[in-house]
Amino acid sequence: MKKQLSLLLAAGMAASLLAGCGGGTSSTATDSSSASTATSTAEATAESTTASGDGLTADITMWTYPIGKFGDAETVNSIISKFQETNPGINVTVEYLDYTNGDDQVTAAIEAGTTPDIVMEGPERLVSNWGAKGKMLDLSDLWTEEATADIAGVSQSVVNACKGADGNYYEYPLCMTTHTMAINKDLFEAADALQYINEDGTWTTENFQKALQALKDSGVDTTMIVYCGGQGGDQGTRALVNNLYSGQFTNPDHTAYTTDSDANKKALQQLLDWSNEGLISYDAAAQASDELQLFANGTIAMTLCWNASNQAQYASSVTFTPMAVAFPSDDGVPELCGGIWGFGIFNNGDDNKAAAAKEFIKFLCDDETQGPESVRLTGFFPVRASFGDVYTGTEDEARMAEFAGFMQFLGDYYPVTAGWAEQRTAWWNMLQQIFTGTSVDDAVATYTETSNAALASASA
Amino acid sequence: MASKTKAAAAKGGEVLTYNQGTFRNSALVRQQTLAAYLFMLPALFFFVLFVVVPMVMCLVTSFFDYRMGKPLTFVGLAQYVKMFQDPTFLKALQNTFILVIVAVPAVTAFSLWVSSVVYQFSAFKRSFFRCIFYLPVVTGTVAVAVVWKWMFNKYTGLINYVLGATGIIHENISWLGDARFALGCIILILFTTSIGQPIVLYIAALGNVDPSLIDAAEVDGANNFQVFWQIKWPQIMPTTLYILVITTINTFQCYALIQLLTSGGPNHATDTIMYYIYYQAFKLNDYGYGDAMGVVLAIIIAVLSAIQFKVTGSGATD
Repeated sequence: MKKQLSLLLAAGMAASLLAGCGGGTSSTATDSSSASTATSTAEATAESTTASGDGLTADITMWTYPIGKFGDAETVNSIISKFQETNPGINVTVEYLDYTNGDDQVTAAIEAGTTPDIVMEGPERLVSNWGAKGKMLDLSDLWTEEATADIAGVSQSVVNACKGADGNYYEYPLCMTTHTMAINKDLFEAADALQYINEDGTWTTENFQKALQALKDSGVDTTMIVYCGGQGGDQGTRALVNNLYSGQFTNPDHTAYTTDSDANKKALQQLLDWSNEGLISYDAAAQASDELQLFANGTIAMTLCWNASNQAQYASSVTFTPMAVAFPSDDGVPELCGGIWGFGIFNNGDDNKAAAAKEFIKFLCDDETQGPESVRLTGFFPVRASFGDVYTGTEDEARMAEFAGFMQFLGDYYPVTAGWAEQRTAWWNMLQQIFTGTSVDDAVATYTETSNAALASASA
Repeated sequence: MASKTKAAAAKGGEVLTYNQGTFRNSALVRQQTLAAYLFMLPALFFFVLFVVVPMVMCLVTSFFDYRMGKPLTFVGLAQYVKMFQDPTFLKALQNTFILVIVAVPAVTAFSLWVSSVVYQFSAFKRSFFRCIFYLPVVTGTVAVAVVWKWMFNKYTGLINYVLGATGIIHENISWLGDARFALGCIILILFTTSIGQPIVLYIAALGNVDPSLIDAAEVDGANNFQVFWQIKWPQIMPTTLYILVITTINTFQCYALIQLLTSGGPNHATDTIMYYIYYQAFKLNDYGYGDAMGVVLAIIIAVLSAIQFKVTGSGATD
């Protein structure tokens, strides 16, 4: 009897583990049941949300990632207060996500049928992930001819990025930026390496190598780090590899990952050679946040993960002059990775709430006063040409002008390529393999095979 | 056989008797059984809702191709076949077994050793050491991971600084980024966060060993080793069994440290099954595959726990 009880106890403990594994899927067994749950929830809540007169009456929720001051409750509450002056019937509740757990929270909410009405992030999540999986509402009605032309006036790639493969718009964009590198200007000056950087912040691969050598010769122990401890800030390492010899990350129509091109393989081999020569370092335990910290405390001379927002964040903690520069390229004409942020609406089956959510998004993005202010709060640049320079006359004017100069180098927005999530893991694993002995050809072949298989599976 | 008789007042005031725990009045037995079940009902409800139902759903969905945005398709055992052809899963399985094989005996032995010393201290000193060793348990995993990550940092870490200053190493090591050291570092951190509870339990268990038995053994000429092995060890066997089972399960479920420190790298050197389940389910939204791995992990743990029960004689005190 004791033995039976003991075995039962062991089985129970194992069972609780099993339950933990199933926890993420406990609310729904199928997508169809998920949809029905969402619908019934929507029907229930619709009773408390009705359209009355000219104004909508609804309680809506928004989840936002920490995009500039949109991660600050006080700031967002003040925006909501302004919105409610003209829309007193719409109440907005905000939940603040972080990039560590945010995706998991959204995934769990999708499976539980408890997604918010609005989510603020970029096309790689809103369009190519949740949108492609049928979880987002088509926002084509927000994309009026005027708005589309206005946004295309800044960059057609922003318009393309917000549109899914099915032709529906799953994101209404607010702001954008280019991701750059940054150098410790003081160290570069001391090493007489500033001569290798052009006035517009660009430099060639050849001059980049000369700068690395100059820094080493001047006694800088670690010039820069190829970080590959995870996916955080991986756009930095991607941009470095793609620019060194003008490679492309995907083909133009985003139907294949092209890291196995000769240009990309040459760049990866070059990084390995520089590492072996001691000109650069690599760290399989570091992600961009770690690298940024090392840059901020002066341990390394360059960071691969820089933009206007990061500069604002680290401005008070650095004791040197950080200077934004483009990624080095063989022809001196870089193609920088872009970041686009905006709003999407989850398809929760409640037309009234969706209408209210659209009103709030229009207020945030289109309102002639709030629109530019929303952009300023993100710390990035507007996607609408009609907004002009939103930082003119502000204390950030000079700082933002430095980054505005890099917008001309904005390259293809490829994070909307299918299979993106699996590709990201394969990317830093590939870098780890290359720096620990696997040949560039073999590591790249494994990466390309994995990524394109994920792309094909996601597109099927 | 000695007879022990107790009197119990039944609901109607009827006095009933029983011998050696065997009730003669079946009505009272039924009544008490019903009351017991009623007391259990709230816990049972939540157990069924949050453990049994998800467990069954996990098992069922492991036979389906269940991914976000895709139609649910029955695939039979395909997920299980795929799993054992997946080199990353096999690597994660291997790493998990290494963690268990190294960490569980180390945690148990170290805890027993520390407890054997600490339980003899005065009450104040005993409490002090219990607090010290329990501190990593009550400290949040994130905080612990951040501190260790700083200590292991290749460029500014304490460990490289000390080893470099003492001439033991001449070049900084990326402890968590080097496949030769990463899993060892994880085991070390896991060890420090796992010993708190076993030490507290062992101190309590050793304190409960009947001192008259120890005195008698010492009078009979038993040395310290004999006293421990013949008197104390059998007495703390239930505690040992509990520690073994719980530590094994916790080690098999090692996830947070991997997520916070290495993301399974470098080159999958620190991938564990739990982290890989998380990756498949939450990063790639492949729930069916993740659930299948969860089922396999649960079976492995159940089998190992059963073996532990068998080997330790179900934790019975002799």
